[in-house]
Amino acid sequence: MGSAIAQKTWELENNILAVEAPDPSSDFIFYYDEVAQAMSLKAKPWANDPHFFKRVKISALALLKMVIHARCGGTIEVMGLMQGKTDGDAIIVMDAFALPVEGTETRVNAQADAYEYMVDYSQTNKQAGRLENVVGWYHSHPGYGCWLSGIDVSTQMLNQQFQEPFLAVVIDPTRTVSAGKVDIGAFRTYPEGYKPTDDPISEYQTIPLNKIEDFGVHCKQVYYALNITYFKSSLDCHLLDLLWNKYWVNTLSSSPLLGNGDYVAGQLSDLAEKLEQAENHLTHSRIGPPGTSRRKIPGRITSWLSKTSFSTRLDGQNRCPVRLSAKDEMVTA
Amino acid sequence: MASSSSSGLTFKLHPLVIVNISDHYTRVKSQLNLPPSLTSASSAATSNNNNNNSNGGENNQQPLPRVYGCVIGVQRGRTVVIFNSFELIYDPSTRSLDRSFLEKKQELYKKVFPHFYVLGWYSTGSDAQESDMHFHKALMDINESPLYVLLNPAINPAQKDLPVTIYESELHIIDGVPQLIFVRSSYTIETVEAERISVDHVAHLKPSGGSAATQLAAQLTGIHSAIKMLNSRIRVLHQYLVGMQKGDIPCESSLLRQVSSLLRRLPAIESEKFQDDFLMEYNDTLLITYLAMFTNCSSTMNELVDKFNTAYDRHSRRGGRTAFI
Repeated sequence: MGSAIAQKTWELENNILAVEAPDPSSDFIFYYDEVAQAMSLKAKPWANDPHFFKRVKISALALLKMVIHARCGGTIEVMGLMQGKTDGDAIIVMDAFALPVEGTETRVNAQADAYEYMVDYSQTNKQAGRLENVVGWYHSHPGYGCWLSGIDVSTQMLNQQFQEPFLAVVIDPTRTVSAGKVDIGAFRTYPEGYKPTDDPISEYQTIPLNKIEDFGVHCKQVYYALNITYFKSSLDCHLLDLLWNKYWVNTLSSSPLLGNGDYVAGQLSDLAEKLEQAENHLTHSRIGPPGTSRRKIPGRITSWLSKTSFSTRLDGQNRCPVRLSAKDEMVTA
Repeated sequence: MASSSSSGLTFKLHPLVIVNISDHYTRVKSQLNLPPSLTSASSAATSNNNNNNSNGGENNQQPLPRVYGCVIGVQRGRTVVIFNSFELIYDPSTRSLDRSFLEKKQELYKKVFPHFYVLGWYSTGSDAQESDMHFHKALMDINESPLYVLLNPAINPAQKDLPVTIYESELHIIDGVPQLIFVRSSYTIETVEAERISVDHVAHLKPSGGSAATQLAAQLTGIHSAIKMLNSRIRVLHQYLVGMQKGDIPCESSLLRQVSSLLRRLPAIESEKFQDDFLMEYNDTLLITYLAMFTNCSSTMNELVDKFNTAYDRHSRRGGRTAFI
């Protein structure tokens, strides 16, 4: 009994949410109600409230497809579209598909190239029984976090003007693999000139130096993040449970340390650059007025450097894989 | 339809295919059978309502729909890896496969995944049927030896194994007539790291985001369950061997040979070179952890100094407090 209590307290402390297994009646999320969707498209409740959509529900299939596609791209950004529907203040993403364009940050309207592909794909899908419409786009930021860059913001604002309801999703496949959890973010932009009433609390993430300016310009007042939850059908549940019987070997034998050597090295060199910048700042500020200000600048930089994400992520990541690297050899031998 | 295939090909299946097929099936099923809760809720178009009501009543009587689709992947030598799948339009009553649709879809998928090609087809059901052979033959002009992946959508809580079977077709002489029949093949589940993480994520619905503590907790839970599995498997083996020793279970030498070869492989690596490499990696990791600790420490110290200075500010005299230093 003691162990059960210990488990409960641990679960509570770590906010582990127990999700009830979906029963067949909850599968109705898969039902596409054309009439209701057409009605809500006409009513356009989002036109008056820029902060209308608050939640996103992503299906297991869509998540899997997006993450695999993002990872396939390696260090190149890839993009694709998501299909789904709306449900009150939530956008439901049922499926995703990749677009055959190489997303480079310099192209403003990469989707112009892929329109024909999109139309073709949607048509064939409708024939095959996938009735939903396109509700958003996703792209990857390999290695530099989930946020909207300047180009992304302008693309999304354009989309939100003409293709409402539309959602932007960003995935970081490198961080996903290195951290062992899916790094994904869903965003919507505010229209021009709109000032959000409350300051959204965003989770801190480490942004590499070369992208930090782009990040800083837009992060606060131009777009907001939506809450993401996932869902799966009862059959999915059942299959995934059974899949675990074969999967556990992979979990045990995977070693994020070995798989991400160069990413960690990249992070370290980025840290070194930031430290150098901090030092330069220090020498500059010595010329300035003496006193408390001298202590404040390096202090701020140090605290900024060491905020939860970077050091504790390395911490957490490194504690486990050390023992695993030996097991890797054993199991794969 | 029986026995195991003798073609010598090894099959590797990605979980994405399984989730794809399951999603296709759930979609088709939910479009056909509208759940009764929705009929009362939707107050729009009453004519729709009437149709749906009759459908809802027949929920139990309607047979489970079969879905059909194509699987794509690559074949490298003797290994066939199935990566992805997409839906197809097939009418079982007329036995007609929509060719133009198939070609269109192939084109689209070629643009995004240029390395993959059609390996076979999939369907849902409990067992391979004779009528499936027609579909199979229809696909033979695209791939000379297509695969047939069958998923059993019936949810059986007592099941321990994945309800997915892969069939190949072989030419057998039955009653003097050469016929194509389905033979079962074994397969393994293969995955890439990203896929594994997202499947883990969705399967156990781990908390995403949140502080580093939850991340560490989530990762450790995953490893903990994997170790539990390993433990249970070893226990099963152990009990089996004990039973054999006692004489309850008849001795099976092939199994004994396998177990002894497994035991002889542990400990797997004893060489000096491994130790060197391992210790080097270990040291690197410890160094990085040290660095992380350092940064954390200096930040805490800095905060402490800031608070100290705010409390004992030497430049202003508030409340009669004098400079401390």
